[in-house]
Amino acid sequence: MKHIKTLNTRSLQESMKKGGCGECQTSCQSACKTSTVGNQTCEQKK
Amino acid sequence: MVHQYRSNGYNIVLDVDSGSVHIVDDLVYDIINSVKQDPSCSDESVIEAYSGQYPESDVREALEEVRTLQKQGQLFAEDIYHGAVLDFRKRQTVVKALCLHIAHDCNLACQYCFAEEGEYHGRRALMSFEVGKKALDFLVASSGNRRNLEVDFFGGEPLMNFQVVKDLVAYGRVLEKNSDKHFRFTITTNGVLLNDEIMEFCNAEMDNVVMSLDGRKEVHDRMRPSRNGKGSYDLIVPKFQKFAAQRKALGKQYYIRGTFTHYNLDFAQDVLHFADLGFDQLSMEPVVAPADAPYAIRPEDIPVICEQYDVLAKEMLKREKEGRGFTFFHFMIDLSGGPCVYKRLSGCGSGTEYLAVTPWGDLYPCHQFVGNEQFLLGNVDEGIVRTDIVDTFKCCNVYSREECTKCFARYYCSGGCAANSYNFHGRIDDVYEIGCELERKRVESAIMIKAALADAGGEV
Repeated sequence: MKHIKTLNTRSLQESMKKGGCGECQTSCQSACKTSTVGNQTCEQKK
Repeated sequence: MVHQYRSNGYNIVLDVDSGSVHIVDDLVYDIINSVKQDPSCSDESVIEAYSGQYPESDVREALEEVRTLQKQGQLFAEDIYHGAVLDFRKRQTVVKALCLHIAHDCNLACQYCFAEEGEYHGRRALMSFEVGKKALDFLVASSGNRRNLEVDFFGGEPLMNFQVVKDLVAYGRVLEKNSDKHFRFTITTNGVLLNDEIMEFCNAEMDNVVMSLDGRKEVHDRMRPSRNGKGSYDLIVPKFQKFAAQRKALGKQYYIRGTFTHYNLDFAQDVLHFADLGFDQLSMEPVVAPADAPYAIRPEDIPVICEQYDVLAKEMLKREKEGRGFTFFHFMIDLSGGPCVYKRLSGCGSGTEYLAVTPWGDLYPCHQFVGNEQFLLGNVDEGIVRTDIVDTFKCCNVYSREECTKCFARYYCSGGCAANSYNFHGRIDDVYEIGCELERKRVESAIMIKAALADAGGEV
């Protein structure tokens, strides 16, 4: 595309099919104790 | 929903419900804005609207690209997740993470501590090995078919009860051998008692270590004095530098984690101070405090803080180019391998899959609820007895908060913090508005960084 550069695919819809395994890290156990789920990586994609 | 914004010279379009991120030129930026205002607008009306400003052939070409992305589900995608997430939340609850309050005691007297010098509105206490052992047994028994289990040693200051930390890790390793479970141990420390023996143990056993440091010496010492009022910066920084260097050499995770307050709204300088000290895995969070606390973040501070996130993002990009990059926890967004939509919409897991355990074995929805008897769920002997409280947390998700349904950042913050909501509004399914504003800004900054890295041909 000439006018648009897309950085990623439609990942949210696709995650409905394979997601929900629950093996990912609990967000609170990373580097925060007071404030973000979205900055984790899916365990299946590591 | 589509969110579009300009940052650092980039026109950025976030297609909220697909998660797609597009970097576009001015023409497409304008066209998308038109379609956003009038979703039923015809192609001819768009072409007519912009042919005065841009060559008509360009307008037709750009519009075709927009329509192609729409057809591919990457632009103006619909929210198709509501029913699926509600079904997901009806599943049986399993517990997969515990925050073990190994010590309700502390050797610092941080002004902003929600644990009130480590005591959590109660009495000083250290967790016994017996209570900790029961907690790990409870975790294994309550974890269903989850394999990865997490245990965070928290406080107070966990190193004030280090022998029990060591004994519980050893017990966890025994449990691993007798089951198909894998324990991921983490610890948070203020560094006062850190020594070579503790570093060696943590390097062998801890998947992550969070070291508490607030930034520049005068900033840190003002908020994190010892019990006798003396600052702690000079004591802990050399130890943290040694510890971080060891973990980096071993390829192990660590975070230098700070709290910024109304007193250091120029907190980007504190984050950069971390980097200048040689640390490269950094985290800095806004203080959450009663609105009348002198150090609390105020609504009028928000523009200053947002500007600081811009300063930090630009400096991160500059240092990345110079080969001395660092990671900043709140700017980490994995655009292609991020969490599934179920995780994003159901939140942090507090009160359901993540629980806090007090030194005497009581269970609470998370570390921030500890000491509030209204949220006492049970204990390590009897397990969860207040399933009604668990059910309220289970129903707490993005769709239960009206503000979230209108917010572009909902798939990144996942509805925000139940404890913050409770502290400010007396209910767990509301939002903490200042936190929302800052989260939206952080998401915008994080995506801008991705755009700039892509522009430079780097890894997105």
